[in-house]
Amino acid sequence: MPEIKVTPLGAGQDVGRSCILVSIGGKNIMLDCGMHMGFNDDRRFPDFSYITQQGRLTEFLDCVIISHFHLDHCGALPYMSEMVGYDGPIYMTHPTKAICPILLEDFRKITVDKKGETNFFTSQMIKDCMKKVVPLNLHQTVQVDDELEIKAYYAGHVLGAAMVQIKVGSESVVYTGDYNMTPDRHLGAAWIDKCRPDILISESTYATTIRDSKRCRERDFLKKVHETVERGGKVLIPVFALGRAQELCILLETFWERMNMKAPIYFSTGLTEKANHYYKLFITWTNQKIRKTFVQRNMFEFKHIKAFDRSYADNPGPMVVFATPGMLHAGQSLQIFKKWAGNEKNMIIMPGYCVQGTIGHKILNGQKKLEMENRQTVIEIERCEPGCCHLSLEVKLQVEYMSFSAHADAKGIMQLIRMAEPRNMLLVHGEAKKMEFLKDKIEQEFTINCFMPANGETTTVITNPSVPVDISLNLLKREMALGGPLPDPKKPRTMHGTLIMKDNSLRLVSPEQALKELGLNEHQLRFTCRVQLQDPHSDPDTLSRIYTHLKSVLKGYTIQHLPDGTVMVESIVIKVSSSAEEPNTKVLLLSWSYQDEDLGSFLSTLLKKGLPSGLSSM
Amino acid sequence: MGETSSVENEFDDWFIESLKIYNNIHEYQLEHPTRVIEWTSEKTICVAGYSSDKNEILELLLPLKLFTDDNQGLCAERDFKVVHGGFSDGSIHCLKHIPGTRCVVTNDGFNSNLQVWDLGGEDCDVIKRTGVLQLKSASSDKGVKIAPGLTGDPCVLHGSQISDIQLTELTSGKPLYSLGKDIPDLLSSLQFVSGSVFLACACNGDLYVGDTRNPSGLQNNPAGGREGVHWCMGVKTDLSSSDPSSCSVARLSSACQVVVSDLRDLRAPLFQAQLHVQRKTTSDDFMKVTWAPALDNCLAVSGFDGMVRIYDTASWRPELMEFQPLFIHRGHMMSDDQFDTSSAVVTTHVWHPSRPRTVLSAAVDGSVHVWDWVDKATASC
Repeated sequence: MPEIKVTPLGAGQDVGRSCILVSIGGKNIMLDCGMHMGFNDDRRFPDFSYITQQGRLTEFLDCVIISHFHLDHCGALPYMSEMVGYDGPIYMTHPTKAICPILLEDFRKITVDKKGETNFFTSQMIKDCMKKVVPLNLHQTVQVDDELEIKAYYAGHVLGAAMVQIKVGSESVVYTGDYNMTPDRHLGAAWIDKCRPDILISESTYATTIRDSKRCRERDFLKKVHETVERGGKVLIPVFALGRAQELCILLETFWERMNMKAPIYFSTGLTEKANHYYKLFITWTNQKIRKTFVQRNMFEFKHIKAFDRSYADNPGPMVVFATPGMLHAGQSLQIFKKWAGNEKNMIIMPGYCVQGTIGHKILNGQKKLEMENRQTVIEIERCEPGCCHLSLEVKLQVEYMSFSAHADAKGIMQLIRMAEPRNMLLVHGEAKKMEFLKDKIEQEFTINCFMPANGETTTVITNPSVPVDISLNLLKREMALGGPLPDPKKPRTMHGTLIMKDNSLRLVSPEQALKELGLNEHQLRFTCRVQLQDPHSDPDTLSRIYTHLKSVLKGYTIQHLPDGTVMVESIVIKVSSSAEEPNTKVLLLSWSYQDEDLGSFLSTLLKKGLPSGLSSM
Repeated sequence: MGETSSVENEFDDWFIESLKIYNNIHEYQLEHPTRVIEWTSEKTICVAGYSSDKNEILELLLPLKLFTDDNQGLCAERDFKVVHGGFSDGSIHCLKHIPGTRCVVTNDGFNSNLQVWDLGGEDCDVIKRTGVLQLKSASSDKGVKIAPGLTGDPCVLHGSQISDIQLTELTSGKPLYSLGKDIPDLLSSLQFVSGSVFLACACNGDLYVGDTRNPSGLQNNPAGGREGVHWCMGVKTDLSSSDPSSCSVARLSSACQVVVSDLRDLRAPLFQAQLHVQRKTTSDDFMKVTWAPALDNCLAVSGFDGMVRIYDTASWRPELMEFQPLFIHRGHMMSDDQFDTSSAVVTTHVWHPSRPRTVLSAAVDGSVHVWDWVDKATASC
């Protein structure tokens, strides 16, 4: 039976990273290649030994597809392609291709330079890995090879995030990556057509939540900023250049205008350049439909938001500053943080996840005292005298962690299933016993199976592929002429024809046409059979008696008594003869063609039983 | 899309105002609206659908952010978590949690039977129906009101009319007490004020006090309102006190009047008020009045339109006078798409048991809000 196999790599219940293997129609595809952010050792990488115990992965994988630039989806990519070894194509959207290397390099720097780790990929490896990337456009079918094709759909969530359809023949799988179904200020909602994949694969991390509204999150953000500014404090918002910063700026600008606020808002220049680049990326990638939901403006036509200069950080009075990098691990945001951290009137708002080892991560864990290097290089702080090369920083400012990232919740999953109409649903990264209600809900509402494999477990889904066949017009006309109801998916109709399989095409034609095309002669088969019976009548009378008998038994059949001395039942011919010596021993000759085989053998059996005595001859 | 209409302006006004008038506000959208919100533990609530066909019952865990008082800023968690869920073949009009158990009892608002459900534990997230209590009752199309017993073995007080009020033990289905008086008045609310003393409010406003230890004892206290008016009640109990009569009862009428009585002397109302409300719905189904458990003299009223109104009864008087609310929650009328006052109706509301100003409310469009309002009197300007 044709089947599709899906295995989420990883162990046990951990949900920190995405890396899913799919086997479909003889092809092997890796979906995402994420890093587990909670581990510091090899457990952060997916366990590729499932694919092969040793050696490179190239011959075992037909392609790798990355859904978006978050590290838990692409963080292990350079490790996989350069340290384990993979030379095949890596597919991702254009924005993902542009942003991934930046994030990977940042991440590498933090892990290697700051934390001194060794078993990690290098800058060169990131570059070599990105050389293998083949960029995807939305809604464009890409042939990976003769049989495997993929297509990207808009997923919302972050810039460049895509849901991917993988198709081999008539079997297909759709992988959602991270997506959301409610549009926000700078991203639209995910969209897919009724592609009816055999399996829809989705994360279940947020499947059992009901999300608080976007406007409440925004309200909380504005309230915190407003309160800080009102009391004369300064607000630092560390952001990654290419992401949510623009959205928060639009929000603040609207609020400042409305409330007639006077405090300055600054956007660091590093961000400006990157943001323009981002803007161009975004506009060229999205299609018309999505562009409409995006606020049509040049990123820096803000009335109230100005470019930042380092010296402004020392200005008295309230202000709001957006600065990079987002995790406070280096650069301008860290410089500003060092200046403002000691004042409890100030506030820092962290709009996203911070990797372990960064200052951002530490303050989000409630740390109030930080050891910080004065110089560029990493020092073994424990071995030093206090004050010699590092300083102790007291964190007195208010720390706020706000999550703006858009994820689909329980309702969103149902909406997506309604859109795509998959035949089976598969949820990864969840505990099956904590999701039985969701499984029941999906199975009941859509009458499809819902699978929830644990990490490392393979799910096999039997598919029912439909095989498309071309039918000749003549054959179709002939069938239509037979009348009866038109065939539909719920009431298929049986028909006869000849299937010709040539090259990769399948055609259904009439037998005559098939014979003609193949240059064969049609053979007619005719059966004959002799039945003896005793009848004290003349030959013609016996024939008449046979005629009467058959007419009474075989109602609904065409039975004729012909002047040439034969009886015909449909196309079966019956003759009677006898020898002069034994005139009462009649020999019935039955002759029929192959098409009437059933009726013919029925007749011979019937007549062998003889004629009933009460029959009169006509 | 870029035009500013008066609709958008009103929404913006409310949005900006909300920064000052709420400490915190969360807004959720259920797939289907609920008319019940019932606490099943300190951090979980139960909601359920009321469509005529199949419905879901959900047990939701409130977001962590609402519980971390120190370091609230470090918690980004704002979402509800669906911890348990189940399916009901019929509508759910009434849902009550039996204290000390993982059990809830529901009624569909039409039939006279009670469904008993097990909310489930750690190892299974499915809410399962464990039984049905078939009740005999006279009028069978108005549904049954339910009040969980407060002490002893799990039991439930129920009735659709004063005459068929009965206390039934849950596990055995055995009737423990019947009112037995032939009073055919339709029942609107039912509640225990102690282990054995209960209050029953009839739809015509009459308030009955009964005692399950004394089947023949029953006091009646009319509300004294107009004819043809529908009433419901909200009881403030002081469970720490052993005297069941130290409780206040508020009765709300469909003419937007509130009458407050003290159980120690029900002959005359303690005080009353005429609420200035323009009813947007003719249905009395969703009328609700409740007392704040952690505030003094504070009442919440909803069900006439898309708002929840909070009143301070400290200044109310025995004569009927009009009073303005202390606070109005308008969130349910502010939809993201359009400002629609006509169709929004709040179906129910509950107070948080310990956080003084935290209220949860639900409306006909499926919205569920959790809000923490600012008391202007104590807030700094």
